Amino acid sequence: MKRSLIALSSLACGMAFASAPVGKPAPAFNVTDLAGKPVNLADYKGKTVVLEWNNFGCPFVQKHYKSGNMQALQKKYGKEVVWLAVNSTTRESSDYADPMTLDKQLRDFRAEPARYLMDEPGQMGMAYGAKVTPHMYIIDPSGKVVYNGAIDDKRSTNPEDVKTSKNYVAAALDELKAGKPVTTASTTPYGCTIKYK
Amino acid sequence: MTFQGLTRLFVAIAALAWGAAVHAAPVVKTEHVEAQLVAEAVTAQPGKPVLVGLKLRMAEHWHTYWKNPGDSGLPTKIEWVLPEGWKAGEIQWPYPRPLPIGPLMNYGYEDEVVLLSQLTPPAGASGAQTLRAKAEWLVCKDICIPEKGELDLTLEVGPAEPKPDPRNVGSIERAKGMLPVAAPGWKSESSLSAKQLVVRLTPPPGTSPPKQVSFFPEREQLIEPAAPQKVTREGDSLRIEMKLVEPPPTNVTRVAGVAVAEAGWPGIGRKAIAIEAPVSTQPIAAAGSTSAARPASAQIDGSVLAALGFAFLGGILLNLMPCVFPVLGIKVMGFVEHAHGDARAMRLQGVIFAAGVVLSFLLLAGIMLALRAAGGQLGWGFQLQSPLVVTLLAGLFFLLALNLSGVFEWGIFAQSLTSNLSAKGRYADALLAGVLATVVATPCTAPFMGAAVGFTLTQGAGLALLVFATLGAGMALPVLLLALFPALLRRLPRPGAWMETFKQVLAFPLYATVAWLVWVIGAQAGNDAVLALLGGLVFIAMGAWMYGRWDHSPGLWRPTVAVLFAIAGLAIAWPAPQGSAAAGGASARAGELAWQEWSPEKVSQLTGGGQAVFVDFTAAWCVTCQVNKRVALHDAEVMQAFAAKGVVPLRADWTRQDPRITATLAALGRNAIPVYALYTPGSPDPQLLPEVLTPSIVIAELSRLPAAKPAATTLTQRPGGNE
Repeated sequence: MKRSLIALSSLACGMAFASAPVGKPAPAFNVTDLAGKPVNLADYKGKTVVLEWNNFGCPFVQKHYKSGNMQALQKKYGKEVVWLAVNSTTRESSDYADPMTLDKQLRDFRAEPARYLMDEPGQMGMAYGAKVTPHMYIIDPSGKVVYNGAIDDKRSTNPEDVKTSKNYVAAALDELKAGKPVTTASTTPYGCTIKYK
Repeated sequence: MTFQGLTRLFVAIAALAWGAAVHAAPVVKTEHVEAQLVAEAVTAQPGKPVLVGLKLRMAEHWHTYWKNPGDSGLPTKIEWVLPEGWKAGEIQWPYPRPLPIGPLMNYGYEDEVVLLSQLTPPAGASGAQTLRAKAEWLVCKDICIPEKGELDLTLEVGPAEPKPDPRNVGSIERAKGMLPVAAPGWKSESSLSAKQLVVRLTPPPGTSPPKQVSFFPEREQLIEPAAPQKVTREGDSLRIEMKLVEPPPTNVTRVAGVAVAEAGWPGIGRKAIAIEAPVSTQPIAAAGSTSAARPASAQIDGSVLAALGFAFLGGILLNLMPCVFPVLGIKVMGFVEHAHGDARAMRLQGVIFAAGVVLSFLLLAGIMLALRAAGGQLGWGFQLQSPLVVTLLAGLFFLLALNLSGVFEWGIFAQSLTSNLSAKGRYADALLAGVLATVVATPCTAPFMGAAVGFTLTQGAGLALLVFATLGAGMALPVLLLALFPALLRRLPRPGAWMETFKQVLAFPLYATVAWLVWVIGAQAGNDAVLALLGGLVFIAMGAWMYGRWDHSPGLWRPTVAVLFAIAGLAIAWPAPQGSAAAGGASARAGELAWQEWSPEKVSQLTGGGQAVFVDFTAAWCVTCQVNKRVALHDAEVMQAFAAKGVVPLRADWTRQDPRITATLAALGRNAIPVYALYTPGSPDPQLLPEVLTPSIVIAELSRLPAAKPAATTLTQRPGGNE
């Protein structure tokens, strides 16, 4: 009830930017994947969910795809967790890509997220307070946000930096798997501003 | 043409005449930026710094970033490659402008920016010197492009007085004019609450502050860059309220940044001033609020000396705690026995004991600081948040108590606490007693210590350790005094049969401590854990009894069996990993306030609805908290006052780790409990009550509130509805 009220009020104000801080229940979402099928957070109850805000036009995202870093993570953890890529870029931005283009880009990069979510009106991104691509979130099986922030500690667009960086998402997923609390649960996300409506 | 104009012309002509050394530095053109190195002068003198800037001209509507880029982006980077012996300073950043993008906000520059750095040639430099820079910048409009350029600039180094380079004077002067400057005479303060950062700027007398100001913090993830900043006038001061990021940042001890007034700062003549404000533990009062009248008994105004003083006093008080006193009592009795012996040896023992206490405090504090540095959300008392530590302590206290009751003597396995064996043994014993005293003291957070420890943790690690060492010194003081001045001991009765009786009496405070620890385990890990712990204690008792009963039998079977029993006892008592107790403590009982479970949202929800909220930050292991609850909070008159004012009591239970509570305490400037906070509607910062409560303090605090609105008292909120 409370949550739907919040959703309602954010609709009313148009630009209400919320957040999904660590330790709080993850905001529900209701979006579609590239094939147009509906996807809800509730579909993944009891599973660990990774959210990766994505926009292939962004050099920070390209850093992690050209180096193969993101694909490797998706592949390594894809069996245990539900990896969802999300695109909140507005149709009005020059960075907007339609589902067909995105499908091709995913195949070109051999990316393997479980689903790729179209959040074109940007409601899901705003509910989560997603600021940049790639902004990463991890939601634990009980539906709580356990990680919110950057993918790693090297804020740059240089693919070479991937080799020497500390990957926060991988560290958090390993700790979750071992039943430990996440040591570094909140970091400053870096990347390109998400172009909302 | 003026004289100055003529010299400038002359310099320009002379510069041209010098040829290669004074070519304008090459311009590097990328898709969206033209980059160039510019120097304030065409020549430099050996050993004297010269300002060199990286000039970036952005294509229309494209921008690059400030050192804190805001919600996204990347600050521009310059890597200098200089001739041998040259030194390069940090980038001096001109003040940024806010660049809103949809619901987000960046801090950066459009059109043109010059990032200045101070470069210093070595004393022996001469001739043409080529300065190179590898620069990287992210330039964005709708999309972002990372770009880079390798730039160079040649300067003539010689004895001549440097002349300004006419080609760059404009750019360099503009950039220098945009550097934030110190504001002499202006006072800046800041405070953090759970949701807000407040910076207050007070001009020197006779100056009135500008009306509109924006603040740009140096630290990222401090405020929400896009949230509007609320600027109000408060007497002569300017108050800037900003929304903190969620969850609120921890370890903020100072707020540094740039305050920009488009109309200029009166008396300074610039648009940007550098702000470096210490963060006070007390909220900066909004105009008209009454927090000046708060009781001051246990507040610390943040000064180091006061913190050390309180730590020392708190340490002395620790000696009187029920869990510490027996251990010290035994130590003192040991002295009594030897009071007529070797005074020098006894002094040494006293010093070793004190060293043991101080070192153990440093070790515990070091562990806590290390865990915090590794990202753990811990405060003092953290040891008792682990059921395992509580179990081990219960076992230790129980064993000590059995020993005092005379069930067994330590014998050869460990030196007796009252041992009179060799001198060496006595020193080891003194050290052990110091360590033991510290371990048993940790549960008893004396009054004063909360504020001292909380203040400590907001300071650097060095000071934190100093405060803990002082705490230990205070605790060791009484025993040390007795050891150093044995004359004092002669006032005590001579050794005799009374000592055995006294020793046995001392067992009872220890049994009481065990009872309390069992209750803590119950609160942490539930009823089953209580049974396990008590069962384990029974086994420990059997082991201790056997060890004592067959005191004189030779051979190894006696210690072996005793140790086996002790191990069995521990195994039984060992708490299950992540023992899951029901989220407790939120139900109302007869004769108590109707406590509800605390959450930050609940506080804002209730105060938003016009209700006052009283938050009790408590834990089962916090003795002072329990005393306050019995003495003050559940006093009949206090409960009446709560009802009359419609104040909703919330309980934040820190018995087990809860990062939200740790974060909220940090925002209040505290790191240990008890903390009592009274939130009133319309004011984001709560009133903090003293750590030691009496009914009259609470009633006085509540009486300042307006009477309850009738509708507001019928609250039927279910705690934690959607979690």
